[in-house]
Amino acid sequence: MLRRRNLLTTLLIVLPWALLLTLWHQYPATPRFNGTSPLREEGLPSCSWQQASGVAPKVIQNYVYSRPPPWSDTLPTIFIITPTYTRPVQKAELTRLANTFLHVQNLHWVVVEDSPRRTNLVSNLLEKAGLNFTHLNVESPQSLKMNGSRIPSHKPRGTLQRNLGLHWLRDSFNKTQPPEGVVYFADDDNTYSLELFEEMRYTRRVSVWPVAFAGGLRYESPIVSPAGKVVGWKVVFDPNRPFAIDMAGFAVSIRLILERPQATFKLEGIKGGYQESSLLKDLVTMDGLEPKAANCTKVLVWHTRTERPMLGNEGKHGFSDLRMEV
Amino acid sequence: MKVKLKNVFVVYFLVSVIGLMYALLQLGQPCDCSQHLRSASDLMHGKDKKISQLLSEVKRLQVRGKGPELEGQALPIIYAITPTYARLVQKAELVRMSQTFLHVKNFHWIVVEDSPVKTQLVSELLAQSGLRFTHLHTETPKEQKLKESDPNWLKPRGVEQRNLALQWLRENRELSEEGVVYFADDDNTYSLRLFDEIRSTKRVSVWPVGLVGGLRFERPLVEKGRVVGFYTAWKPNRPFPMDMAGFAIALQLLLANREARFDMLAERGYLESSLLQSLVSIEELEPRADNCTKVRRGTGSQDSWVLSMVLGVQWIKWVRAGDQDSWVLG
Repeated sequence: MLRRRNLLTTLLIVLPWALLLTLWHQYPATPRFNGTSPLREEGLPSCSWQQASGVAPKVIQNYVYSRPPPWSDTLPTIFIITPTYTRPVQKAELTRLANTFLHVQNLHWVVVEDSPRRTNLVSNLLEKAGLNFTHLNVESPQSLKMNGSRIPSHKPRGTLQRNLGLHWLRDSFNKTQPPEGVVYFADDDNTYSLELFEEMRYTRRVSVWPVAFAGGLRYESPIVSPAGKVVGWKVVFDPNRPFAIDMAGFAVSIRLILERPQATFKLEGIKGGYQESSLLKDLVTMDGLEPKAANCTKVLVWHTRTERPMLGNEGKHGFSDLRMEV
Repeated sequence: MKVKLKNVFVVYFLVSVIGLMYALLQLGQPCDCSQHLRSASDLMHGKDKKISQLLSEVKRLQVRGKGPELEGQALPIIYAITPTYARLVQKAELVRMSQTFLHVKNFHWIVVEDSPVKTQLVSELLAQSGLRFTHLHTETPKEQKLKESDPNWLKPRGVEQRNLALQWLRENRELSEEGVVYFADDDNTYSLRLFDEIRSTKRVSVWPVGLVGGLRFERPLVEKGRVVGFYTAWKPNRPFPMDMAGFAIALQLLLANREARFDMLAERGYLESSLLQSLVSIEELEPRADNCTKVRRGTGSQDSWVLSMVLGVQWIKWVRAGDQDSWVLG
């Protein structure tokens, strides 16, 4: 009888310790992992980065209806920086652009919204499009804001957004090992032919070409000497600008952007038409320009403007359901 | 040693005291939790990646899943009829359109120029586009042509051209061929999903159109999968108060009704009705875009093509059907 009691007591004594031990085994307070696995830095071939304060990068590969051509490791990348702002035609413009960009190989679209936070409209559009993209946002101060009511003036627009795009590029890539590629500022209401992207792809420093409907002309163009160097500008609007060219008329190589971190679009004291010069003068001189589009004899990009749609029937209080995304 | 209770309690006591001392010593020491956090977030990243990969797999399979049912009888061809006329932005508009259409399978573009001859600009553009196309031309008679000073809505535009395209289809296609006809004006924007939706049209399908009629969007009203009315502010009493790009017609319907065409003399806004009323009744319309709750196409007017008009607001009672998209603009 004594033995059985001994056994029982021993069991009762050991039981809670055994329980404790098993619990401790399952939830160890002491760090048991060895070897840190740092957050992977996605390299160039990966698809999209979304950055806002504090959000870690997310890899999205969502091809729904159309795919861009497969990424090639040898082709230089084309980074397109598009500033955009909310207005009724925004979704239509971005859809059009996406349809165009889906044909271009090795294209990375950097969309920068003029808004305090990234809107669902743009996020959903970008995710569904299937392109490689980065979605950023920065709000312009009230004085520079593009309101629907403002007549398009010569005030520079999209400056902060383009600068943020450049800033992202400089953050994402190493100056000592720059990727092969080119940066192009594509506004969301222009029309781009597919040939244009292949012309700009192999830019060594800054390449230029004619732009239709810019500067009040059928087209504005650089003047190219028979030797193939840019010697002037065939423009009517202020031909004395250092670079009398439209935003859609030039592309800069990534290497150059990374080499000159202080080169950005200037905001203060920039007259209309001088925004492009404010960036280019820090990057290149006139004889460093490379003329493209068959020595600037072909028009491959049109500075089209989309007319504001007449929404007069909406009335003061709105008529159509606001929940429908347009 | 005998298992005396006293001994056991002593042992317990000692162990607890030692444990307590250890814990007290540990207090205030910097704890290296970052590794823990990092590995946890790595785990989350991994899971996120897996989820997005699986999602894309699903979507890909869904798309492929839709394909075979039509693939079996070959995908019906979508015929897009685009009237166009020479002006500065013509080339830009056609280039933009071709870039969109290149994504659409089994697509045939019918471009009809408002011109006495085929212009070189359009001929070259079409030849280089990589699309299957038909290039036609017919000149709008002078009385019907807009003068420079006329507002855009004064006379109907593209009527002769669209009718010519319909005639071409009737002369060159058989009733046995499956197809869908869509009137795609050259200054609009089309989402790729639109073409998937219209491909299965049996008679006439309809869907919402953005930025038209002086509204953010116009759309058919759908109840229980059938169209019961139209949600529009401009001349809602038209038989078919919708925009040219808000409907598509099955090729067979057009071939079977050889007399159906656009009426050049139709009152403003009645152009679409002049064609549709001889083809279909409202009850037979097939709603698309999730029972007409999603906008698939926007009108971006360039200079002289204004598709909407401010005429005053007429309020109509409307009924919502289906689920709504959840986004707010701006």
